[in-house]
Amino acid sequence: MNTSNGLPRFCRAVVLFVIGLTLSVTGPVRRVSAAAETGPVRPIDQRFTDGQDAGRDSAEASGEIPDFRRHVVPLLGRLGCNGRACHGSFQGQGGFRLSLFGYDFNADHENLVAGDEPRVDLTDAGASLMLRKPLEEEPHEGGRRLEQKSWQLAVLRRWIEEGAVGVTDKTADFVRLEVTPSELVAREPGQTWQLRAVAVWSDGTFEDVTPLCRFQSNDDQVATIDAHGEVTARGPGDSHVVAFYDNGVVPVPVLFPVSGRVGDDYPEIVATTKIDELVLGKLSTLGEIPSDRCSDGEFLRRVSLDLTGTLPTAAEARTFLADNRSDKRARKIDELLERPGYAAWWATRFCDWTGNNARNQQNNGPDRQNVVSAAWYDWMRTRLEENLPYDELVERIVLARSRLEDESYADYCERMSGYLAKGGDTSFADQPYLPYFWSRRTFRTTEERALGFAYTFLGVRIQCAQCHKHPFDQWTKDDFDRFENFFSRVRYVQARQVPDTGSVRSSMMAALDIDPDLKGNRLDQRLAKLAAQGQTVPFGETVVMPPPKPVDPEKLARFKERAATPKQKARLQQFLSGRTATVLGGDEIALDEVDDPRQILLAWMRDENNPYFAPAIVNRIWSCYFNVGIVEPPDDLSLANPPSNAPLLEFLAAGFREQGYDLKWLHREICNSDTYQRGWEPNDTNRLDERNFARAVPRRLPAEVAYDAIRVATAGTAEVDKICQVDAKRAIADPVVSRQGGSYALTVFGRSIRESNCDCDRSTEPSLLQTVFLQNDAEMLGMIDRRDGWLAEVTATDSDPAEIVEEAYMRTLARRPTAAERDRSLAHIHAADSLRAGVRDLLWALLNTKEFIVNH
Amino acid sequence: MTGGALFGKQPTMTVNQTCDGVRRRDFLRIGALGTAGLSLSDYLRWTAAAESSPKRAKAAIFVNLEGGPSHLDTFDPKPDAADEYRGEFRPISTSVPGIQISEHLPKLAGCLEHYTILRGITHSLAAHPLGQKYVSTGNRPIPSLEFPSYGAVVSRELGGPADLPLHVAVPKINQGAGYLGVKYAALNTGSTPKAGRPYSVRGVSLAGSLTVEDVQRRQGLLEDLDQRMRQLDGQNDLVAGLDRFTEQAHTIITSSRARQAFDVSRESPSFAAPFGETPFGQSCLLATRLVEHGVPFVTISFGGWDTHLDNWTRLKERQLPPLDEGLSALFSGLAQKGLLDSTAVLVTGEFGRTPKINTERNGRDHYARAMFMLMAGAGMTGGRVIGETDGTGSGPLHDGHSPDDVAATFYQLLGIDPTREYQTSTGRPVMIVREGTVIPELLS
Repeated sequence: MNTSNGLPRFCRAVVLFVIGLTLSVTGPVRRVSAAAETGPVRPIDQRFTDGQDAGRDSAEASGEIPDFRRHVVPLLGRLGCNGRACHGSFQGQGGFRLSLFGYDFNADHENLVAGDEPRVDLTDAGASLMLRKPLEEEPHEGGRRLEQKSWQLAVLRRWIEEGAVGVTDKTADFVRLEVTPSELVAREPGQTWQLRAVAVWSDGTFEDVTPLCRFQSNDDQVATIDAHGEVTARGPGDSHVVAFYDNGVVPVPVLFPVSGRVGDDYPEIVATTKIDELVLGKLSTLGEIPSDRCSDGEFLRRVSLDLTGTLPTAAEARTFLADNRSDKRARKIDELLERPGYAAWWATRFCDWTGNNARNQQNNGPDRQNVVSAAWYDWMRTRLEENLPYDELVERIVLARSRLEDESYADYCERMSGYLAKGGDTSFADQPYLPYFWSRRTFRTTEERALGFAYTFLGVRIQCAQCHKHPFDQWTKDDFDRFENFFSRVRYVQARQVPDTGSVRSSMMAALDIDPDLKGNRLDQRLAKLAAQGQTVPFGETVVMPPPKPVDPEKLARFKERAATPKQKARLQQFLSGRTATVLGGDEIALDEVDDPRQILLAWMRDENNPYFAPAIVNRIWSCYFNVGIVEPPDDLSLANPPSNAPLLEFLAAGFREQGYDLKWLHREICNSDTYQRGWEPNDTNRLDERNFARAVPRRLPAEVAYDAIRVATAGTAEVDKICQVDAKRAIADPVVSRQGGSYALTVFGRSIRESNCDCDRSTEPSLLQTVFLQNDAEMLGMIDRRDGWLAEVTATDSDPAEIVEEAYMRTLARRPTAAERDRSLAHIHAADSLRAGVRDLLWALLNTKEFIVNH
Repeated sequence: MTGGALFGKQPTMTVNQTCDGVRRRDFLRIGALGTAGLSLSDYLRWTAAAESSPKRAKAAIFVNLEGGPSHLDTFDPKPDAADEYRGEFRPISTSVPGIQISEHLPKLAGCLEHYTILRGITHSLAAHPLGQKYVSTGNRPIPSLEFPSYGAVVSRELGGPADLPLHVAVPKINQGAGYLGVKYAALNTGSTPKAGRPYSVRGVSLAGSLTVEDVQRRQGLLEDLDQRMRQLDGQNDLVAGLDRFTEQAHTIITSSRARQAFDVSRESPSFAAPFGETPFGQSCLLATRLVEHGVPFVTISFGGWDTHLDNWTRLKERQLPPLDEGLSALFSGLAQKGLLDSTAVLVTGEFGRTPKINTERNGRDHYARAMFMLMAGAGMTGGRVIGETDGTGSGPLHDGHSPDDVAATFYQLLGIDPTREYQTSTGRPVMIVREGTVIPELLS
């Protein structure tokens, strides 16, 4: 795949070079060879006819035999046979099963030709159920799928007549799918294009496979696509149509300008930063004009909430509005990045992505769930305070083992016990690694680790491929199985499960004089208590098991020789399991010699051509600022879900790497762009677009930020600085996400539940209970009326109501009221029973506006 | 610009693909027709539709006996079992000849015609959190997905009046709305009513000395001040959602029906008396009131069943008397108000307890291979026992039923197809109940 067909550079398969590690590369999975110069083989619907069309040179005359992988399976897909509702169902349908979305060629072949009721009749092709059922010559629940005298029937029948051969060793590998045209720019509704798809095979052949592709439109209000690959423009907008064939997934962008202001008619807009240049590049092809720059008050509020999870105080807002320096926004960004709120809030985001959930910690040690959760959060926050480069931060999670280098089990226990000791002066956050990522209950099996790892660090959802061919990406079940092997040797163990640490543990326990009948929770509690008193107690640990014994080459050869049946192949697979692994989209790597297979993964991730590692985090962080990612959803980097602005994502990912994975560089780069500083008020050209960053899209405040914002807005003078400096207890710094005992407000506002490897575990949707909370909950009303709060403070003195109104606006919305707003507010205060009652209502009303609960 | 929505206008309308080859947008579109789909815009459309079309009164009450009640000492007695199994309680006869339950459940024995006992329900998750997740969702827990509580599904499917919450949990529920999202979360009352005293609930009732007039006045101020984002009216889901919920919250807060629904002190003393004065009894009383006023789903949590220690003392002194009193009053109360036929009731803990007595502690430990559940209402024929355990209550005779089967049946009774498929936000298709089959005897 190349950039010319609209695919981002990062979609290419990655070849891995790891220097300094002994690797044996057993040959690339997908060998690429140049296509011949002669032009592709004509489409199959022109080669096969049913002999009715006498003038044409039927493939039967030329003796062509349809190929199972190239023609038969894709055709079954096109006819809908292997869909989930049909024979792709895991239970099959009507006693016949196909692999979901194809790609398990051997199983599909076996299901067609073997079994109690074979679908293929080699002695009489016409009697095959595979033909009679979809022709409805026999009852078929799926209805009529095949027509008499069609090329489809001719292909299937001829394949059967010629012996219904499956995939053999000689079958060439699929290399790539090329789709033309590579971009579609529409001028008017109803405009059409015919896509043409050519498959390239490893034997150098290439064939026009348009009639065998599946097609879809990602937004059929922009363009529709029919089964034959004909695209019809429908309305203004920006989307993709996608072609699928074998393992190829090729999205083709469709652009339909929303206004006539394209090309020379696009207004001249200065691009201040590279981000702006790339965003405007896209907008100009769409005829979309960006919104104006937001006001200073909006900027301050927006950037404070985004960068530090904290509402600016009224005092800060006043100072900022009065500041006349032209670079005050850039200065503010620098200032905010150094505030405690930055690390406090973003550590919570990183805890979301890494899955820090107290409930999921294996609570089988003295470091009990909430303790682990807090340690995890503190560790993360400390790393962000240090601004540790992102790749190093990840290294310290990926390569984590509980023990430091050369540390004995006894020393490890002493160190860990020290963290729990009351009044101790060491902290878990100060040591380099985060092994708790690996000791989660949800990380017990290699599959779970592979899924969670891919989600957290690669932004890839390979769940589908766990059971079947990924319908919207290149991943096959085989890819998943090979990737999974990286994770087979890391595990969390109890000391008593391992002989040499077991004895150390026993003597430790004996020294502590612990009742031997004490078990489970009670034992853990007892150990935690002893550790708090300064005693050394035993801990469980995350370890990497040693590599399996080297393979005897003779034995392996014998295994391979005999691997003919699926059962024997499975035995071979089992024999090889854990010995080799394959990075996603890359080569197979031997693990026998490797001390820790995770090192290979890490090296792959750090390779500058890695298509996921840098884009995933850059895209995620972008999505926190712009409501949507450049790839949306942000944790779904896949071929069929291309970025809305590929050059932008490439620039950010490359820049991030070149800057040494400096997270603050990324924040600064984003916040200083005009793109980030646009107003939320739409204009006629960008009104309906929330994917191309032509204006600020209002976002509901994240749960923790919303809760803290209410506290800041209602706080009295004495308290407000403490809250903003994160000296007071803050929701944005609350480490423990747990079902029990969680804060009602944070739950209702949808803080991340950190359960299911999905960014969607956090919700920023509105709900009824949120509004009920804001309007009428005792906790909320209590915050307004608290004894040392602003309401009490300001109504205790003889303040001018007009000043109070202004202050109320500044502390909630970081702006002054308009004349109409001021008059309405004053009228309400004057009509109220008391100053306090009037101001209470005003503060209540402002906290209940959309402007407050939304970042805009 | 007019017409033609574009660009994935709403964030939730992002075009994406599902594991099974149906794109999310397709699902969203189907969603508008009421099949599946979880975007906010759908929700808004759907609630609007729910309000305009009168529906049959349907509701459900889920009683969660947290901790895992012993089956042998309650609804599945084994008087003929050996000493190490039997336990000290004697069985008594019930209003239905031939069916016996524990002697410490006399009131429930007297009204068996209202409910059905399911014996020999079986599963394999004998730890509290996992078992709780299982019986509160009807789906065996898996790490990659959080399933919604019954209440979340039912409130999504059945809807309800605008001035009432759709799912109330007394005093709280641990199971969230899972992949259905926070908008289907339960309103936790946080407390249980005190007998005969006025009762109000967090957020719903007017705080302190506030009057409806005060609230109207401040709402008027809010409406006038909340003008800044008007430009986005009709163009942004978030803004539309906030507006709608602001209005609905105000309706609930000022609704006399909502306040009255929660205030059990308005119940006549003669109706309230049988529920007793225990927190569980009062929770049952509250549940009948809420259902009567139109709340479609109520969860009641009643803990303390984890009787590793002194099983019999704790059961007969602390657990069974309130259960007997409260639950029998709930069944009879619903019947008396004519609500039992339109309300499905499911009573269960997360598992049963070991048939073999733990003699060291005089208790019973976790046991998932056999447990009991109760079902009532929704037109089911009561007075029956469905399923059977072996002589020691150690496992079901024949295959037994799973919590999934019960869940499928529970949904079916509410007119909800348990095999209906939802779309999680990661694009994965999931059936409401993934594994269960409806238990046909219960529907007959």
